[in-house]
Amino acid sequence: MSIFQSISAAVAIAATDLKLLMRDKLDAFFTFVFPLIFAIFFGWVFGGAGGGETGKIELGIVQLDKSASASAFADDLAKLDGFHVTRFDDVATAQDKVRKGELVACVVIPEDFNAKFEDLFATGTGPTVRGYVDPSRRGETGLLEGRLTELAFKGMTRSFSNTDSMKKQLAKARASIDQSQETDPTRKFVFNTFLTGIEGLLADNARRAAQQPTQEGAASGGLGTGMDNFRPVQIELEQLQRQRSGPTNSYEVSLPQGIVWGLMGCVTAFVGTLAVDRQRGTLVRLMCSPLSTRAIIAGKSLAGFASCMAVQWLLIGVFALVFAVRVPEPLMLLLATTCASLGFVGLMMFLAVIGRASDGSGGMGRAVVLVLAMIGGGTIPVFIMPKIMQTISGISPFSWAVRAVEGATWRSMSLSEMMLPCGVLLAIGAVGFALGAMMFRRNASAH
Amino acid sequence: MLRLTDLRKSFGSINAVDGVSLEVRRGEVFGLLGPNGAGKSTTISMAVGLIAADSGTVDLDNQGPPTSHRVRRHVGVATQALAIYEQLTGFENLRFFGRLYGLSGPMLRDRVERVLDLVGLLPRAKDVASTYSGGMKRRLNLAAALIHDPPLLLLDEPTAGVDPQSRNNILDTVRELAKQGRTIIYTTHYMEEAQRLCDRVGIIDKGRLLCVGTIDELVRTHGGKSLVRVARGELEDAIETDDPLHTIESAIARGRETPHATHPITGIRIDRPDLESVFLALTGRRLRD
Repeated sequence: MSIFQSISAAVAIAATDLKLLMRDKLDAFFTFVFPLIFAIFFGWVFGGAGGGETGKIELGIVQLDKSASASAFADDLAKLDGFHVTRFDDVATAQDKVRKGELVACVVIPEDFNAKFEDLFATGTGPTVRGYVDPSRRGETGLLEGRLTELAFKGMTRSFSNTDSMKKQLAKARASIDQSQETDPTRKFVFNTFLTGIEGLLADNARRAAQQPTQEGAASGGLGTGMDNFRPVQIELEQLQRQRSGPTNSYEVSLPQGIVWGLMGCVTAFVGTLAVDRQRGTLVRLMCSPLSTRAIIAGKSLAGFASCMAVQWLLIGVFALVFAVRVPEPLMLLLATTCASLGFVGLMMFLAVIGRASDGSGGMGRAVVLVLAMIGGGTIPVFIMPKIMQTISGISPFSWAVRAVEGATWRSMSLSEMMLPCGVLLAIGAVGFALGAMMFRRNASAH
Repeated sequence: MLRLTDLRKSFGSINAVDGVSLEVRRGEVFGLLGPNGAGKSTTISMAVGLIAADSGTVDLDNQGPPTSHRVRRHVGVATQALAIYEQLTGFENLRFFGRLYGLSGPMLRDRVERVLDLVGLLPRAKDVASTYSGGMKRRLNLAAALIHDPPLLLLDEPTAGVDPQSRNNILDTVRELAKQGRTIIYTTHYMEEAQRLCDRVGIIDKGRLLCVGTIDELVRTHGGKSLVRVARGELEDAIETDDPLHTIESAIARGRETPHATHPITGIRIDRPDLESVFLALTGRRLRD
């Protein structure tokens, strides 16, 4: 048989096995649908059982200036729609939270906020509000910048609407002009005339306010609005290098769990397929054909590999699109899922062959796989297990698949860090495949 | 066409096949008969290379060992188990098995339709096999053995557990295949099937091939004497004889000589030896469970 015919036959075996899997509704359900339901359910539970505020943008505020205007600015920030605000006493703590991904950003109201604001007319420069942001959350950052600018204008309007505050600012400006050595007398006269005019306007507004106390903008005197092209507060955003020490989204935790259950479904389904092949005699028919055992094994393995990849990417796709699970490095995730699939193909091959009787290999395979899945993070995420259990979970290929997928998602592992889980998975696959293929051939020849 | 020489296979202390030598000629239907556990399936499995023999050789037209790809292309096997996928349609089953033999495209489609037609399943080709009756599944199992048009067919109890209509269809199909010049090795428990189909028969028991020959030869050699049964009312005389007609004449003549016989002859029946007689004579009447 030519290589082309062997490949074609192996593909036919794989396609038939996948077709059989899809036609067995129970197997298809436990392979593709159940892991999805499981992962969504646990993602929901980990996220506060739907009662949390996972839909809001986490924002931190550090108020270093305790003045009334700074407090008003902070209060306005806390009331922003779509933001969940937490206050911090020091900048470092808030920055750390951003680095860990627990906050999208933190805003620091500086100690000189009020002083700078009062010097606005004298110096022409308002206070600088600094924000520290997670660079991976560009959308939320843009929204935050817009809202901060809006609040700055609101604060300035409040300040200009306050006659006392405005008088203080004008007095500071007049004193600054008078003391200036560089300004010639003519200019000083013009500026003082201008400032006197504004003071007259303020007095007039105060009178009107007393007569019409309900009119907005004139309640306490002041100039009113109309400052659209003016930026009273400088907003500076700085990106903080993210340190992913934990997942930021509960679905990032439940995704690897779903993958565990998906891989488990694939393993049990394909161990069962080979067992049924053996029991029904279809394996004998395969063995009677001109195909080499290598081609038969390749076909069976290809089906297992395709199903493992399909279930993993189905889960990743759904979680990325629907639950905003981030896939920062798709190629790394491709590496992780490919290694996991290869590892589990080896496991499938081994489990399918060690039990020669149909019920034996099917039942035993399910039992072994269930135990490995449980200790490998199928029910409780490995990283929240006690230390001893985390160590024990190392014997489960599922835990290595979880580590690889987590490494490629919220752990943001580097390629060198990924080598360990991926290497272990490949080793499991190679050993399982070699043992399984050897026993399959031996069984075939001794049949 | 197929020559087995001194094949031996044991499983532990049990000699499943003990020195079987046999030659199946091109174009003949050869029946391999034997009680349960006699070694029929093991012999067939060794013939197609599914089981490695402990010793002995299998030769198919000098084309090499039975495990070689070239030999396997020439052999079609319908196993005793229903080696079909129940979740696939009849058409999908045959298309899959055809692809294992390198068939593809229009040739594969044509071959699938012809084979389905041959076994009478074309009208149900698009139905899932799990909806088939037992007889239909047997016919699909036979069709799977024919998909690559092999010159040698090994049919291991192809009518086990089927209704008379399906059995009749399978026997007709086998006869048709034989007419096309294929060599067929047919194992069965049913003696009448072997008598209807087989040119030659071999009887195997306890791993040993006890006899090989045409049915007439085996009956003559191992069938024993005919039995003339003379009924006299409630009584019956059973007389073993090589010449039934002469025996009957003698019985009638003796009746005339004794006119006052209290028990006149009420019926005469001749039981001639057949393949079943040969089978029982060679393998005994002890139950084989």
